[in-house]
Amino acid sequence: MKRLLIAVLVALPLFAQQVTPPAPAAPRDPKLPVPVEKTLDNGLRVIVVPKHDIPLVAARLTIKTGGAADPRGKAGLAELTATVLTQGTKTKSAEQIARGVEALGATLVAGAAWDATDVDLSVMSSNLPKAMEYVADVVRNATFAKDEFEREQAQTIDALQVELRQPRAIAGAVTSRLIYGEGSYGATLSGTPATIGKIKREDLTAFHSRWYVPQNAVLVIAGDIKADAAFTLAQNVFGTWKRGTGEYARSAATPKPGAPRVIVVDMPDAGQSAVVVGRQGIRRTDPAYMHALVLNSILGGGYSSRLNQEIRIKRGLSYGAGSSFDPRVDVGPFTARTETKHESAAEVVGIMTGEMSRLSASDVPETELTPRKAALIGGFAQSLETTSGLVNRISALALYGLPLSEINRYISGVQAVTAEQVRKFASTNVANDLNVVVVGDAKKFLEPLRKQYGAVEVIRFEELDLNSPTLRVRKAKQ
Amino acid sequence: MRLMRLARILLPLLIFASAATAATTIPPVQYKHRVLPNGLAVYSVQDRTTPTVAIHVWYRVGSKHDPEGRSGFAHLFEHIMFKRTKNMPSEMLDRLTEDVGGFNNATTFDDATAYYEVVPSNYLETLLWAEAERLGALAVDDPAFQSERDVVKEEYRFRILSPPYGRLFYAIEKNSFVKHPYRRPGIGSIEDLDAATIDDVQRFHATYYRPDNAVLIVVGDFEQQQLDGWIDKYFTPIPKPELALPKLDPSEPARTEEKRLTEYAPNVPLPAIAFTWLTPNAAHADAIPLFVASTLLSEGESSRLQERLVRGEISQEVFADADLREDLSLFGIVSIMGGGKQPAEAEKVIRAELAALAEKGVPAAELEKAKNLIVTSALRERETNNGKGFTLGEALIRQHDASVVNTGLAQVQAVTSADVQRVVKKYLIDGKALVLTYLDEAQKNEAQKK
Repeated sequence: MKRLLIAVLVALPLFAQQVTPPAPAAPRDPKLPVPVEKTLDNGLRVIVVPKHDIPLVAARLTIKTGGAADPRGKAGLAELTATVLTQGTKTKSAEQIARGVEALGATLVAGAAWDATDVDLSVMSSNLPKAMEYVADVVRNATFAKDEFEREQAQTIDALQVELRQPRAIAGAVTSRLIYGEGSYGATLSGTPATIGKIKREDLTAFHSRWYVPQNAVLVIAGDIKADAAFTLAQNVFGTWKRGTGEYARSAATPKPGAPRVIVVDMPDAGQSAVVVGRQGIRRTDPAYMHALVLNSILGGGYSSRLNQEIRIKRGLSYGAGSSFDPRVDVGPFTARTETKHESAAEVVGIMTGEMSRLSASDVPETELTPRKAALIGGFAQSLETTSGLVNRISALALYGLPLSEINRYISGVQAVTAEQVRKFASTNVANDLNVVVVGDAKKFLEPLRKQYGAVEVIRFEELDLNSPTLRVRKAKQ
Repeated sequence: MRLMRLARILLPLLIFASAATAATTIPPVQYKHRVLPNGLAVYSVQDRTTPTVAIHVWYRVGSKHDPEGRSGFAHLFEHIMFKRTKNMPSEMLDRLTEDVGGFNNATTFDDATAYYEVVPSNYLETLLWAEAERLGALAVDDPAFQSERDVVKEEYRFRILSPPYGRLFYAIEKNSFVKHPYRRPGIGSIEDLDAATIDDVQRFHATYYRPDNAVLIVVGDFEQQQLDGWIDKYFTPIPKPELALPKLDPSEPARTEEKRLTEYAPNVPLPAIAFTWLTPNAAHADAIPLFVASTLLSEGESSRLQERLVRGEISQEVFADADLREDLSLFGIVSIMGGGKQPAEAEKVIRAELAALAEKGVPAAELEKAKNLIVTSALRERETNNGKGFTLGEALIRQHDASVVNTGLAQVQAVTSADVQRVVKKYLIDGKALVLTYLDEAQKNEAQKK
């Protein structure tokens, strides 16, 4: 660590005549969690991470199926199923559940991701046993009553109407469609007003009975509870949960990427332009996962990454710019994002794609590689400080079938990545085949954007159809 | 997930006041306190669970201190504090935090500005040096100032112009006060930001960034004696300026009548309605009952307004916020309407629910529920060193009393149904509301045609 600081100072000759900061003392290693696990007779995997400094517990029941299983044309089904899950069981009404959970001071939230559905509980440790009964009840006995379904359906459509007026949300959804076409990751996770409108109550009950079964689930409990007590609690509330009879292994099926496109969604009264550049990234189980993490830390993960340096810090063009890999069971997306005034949208596109090429053209210097790894490791250590952070880390390993001991290899794994590995990874997974999406007032950036890219497709906001691979509302036959 | 998604859109501008904190079930925050000869107040909390430490410096200068004609200046200045000092080039704070596995940030509130870092604890001395450096010797140049001002203008577009309800929160801030400087939105305006100069920066630093106007808070992994020694070494030499701190007139006339306004904006798919009422400052005895009332009204699906409005399919989203502040507080209720519903429908329900609270009070079990939610939320805030730093900083700025972190929850526990009845009646029924209706601008043209 000391060497790094000296390197930083050497790079800034101003410091020669100045007072320099005091050097750091010897570091202490972060405390790594020690998860313990047990599988119940019905196949439910239970993982406990004791942590006793605050009388608080976080628990997550993960169903290993999410939005990727939404039927075509019914995008948003996994998410809507999760939303209605807490709205009534065989023995309790929606109001009784909300009142009962909140009387314990607890929060109970269910939601879907692409590869999983999570039912999350946060509660003071003394109320954990009572609160877990509610978790088990909604997971096992949700009834998806007709009026509850219809209410949530209408409210989801309203929420999507708000969401899909935001340039950044539109740009993200268009990018997914470009990257995956008609593949399942090409849809929007929460659906669109059109797809939500098509979903029937029976779709929810079918999704629930098909996927919400113990051998397709993992329960992670972290916080102020002893492992034995947690296992007993899990047995008490989930022990009689019946096994499912279906097949639960996921087969990976990512469509081949099409030719990259440059799309402008014209929204003349938008307050700012949103820019997204993206392509297919990697699977979570890709052996190069750590290369992707380190690359992203350099490119667009965190305040001092290259994209934020170039776009915000050096040029004042945005409040923030960043990038991320979203590794999933199948090949997840890689995207870089920012928002800027309309007039600078084309310039920002050039900077973003330029930074991606630069990563594949030359090795990242050690003076940059070392601090970007440190930033990544620091973020990892911080995530282990809260009960919810622990649950996130551990349940993700379980979801992707990775050994829990990976948590002990994260730091050494990051440190082992070399500049050459980052460059090679960039040239195969980042620098080329990039889709570009800009949502904003097109007349203010279209001309310079066309100079950079000959073929720019312009879609008026009113003509945009996120459910179609062409992205356009189908015109009525004449 | 619906609520959470909208909350992300709405919350950044409404800074939430977590007044309630400790209790018998919550481990107390055991802080040590001293004041340096130059007036710097120092609070430290040792917690060696993880090898990290949070360093906070809170300055008693916030958006309410924006110079006249320079709305947004305190916030712009906050950004400038990451630029060059006598011995640090611009962005060196990032080298000393992010580059070694930590992070830094800052937040401008109405009443104060908080700068904070979390770092591996072996960097504590380095960061104390850096914080002393920017308190003592800011040296920003014009190009850095200009570039950062552009960033803040992008932040304005990002927070206000781009989100469908950004302008609603801007309008709430602008119209809720008539005299107190709280009337100026903290993010400012493009014109006022453009008017700011580098001379304003130097003047602002000299006026407000001084040891007797600041609080240093250190939470986490340290040796007490070593920490005290480092603080003496780096902060004691910073002189206390001769000039007195400017006094701000905190007065605001009581509202004499209800005020109704309509605001139009582009891309507003669902209309909204917002109410604000003036309420006493955070240290006043009525502040905690008002905070409990806001929890009863909108915290959790079983809260009164969530049940009647969201579950009742009138609103897409609703929340109440006690927004406790140093000089006077602003109680707010905001509802985004459900598809096809009109703001008047939410208004009717909100008024009826306030009247019911004032007339009938709260059953014991419901009051207990609200208190449990407040305790759990306080526990979550205290999971990290940084969270504990915030708890202390907020208590010091809003209540001028660090001990609130350990007594606040007892105050919450002591709130009775009669207290809730009384404050709701006094401030939200008898007090005069600002009622702001927020509509898509297409409806403005229709209104004009008529």
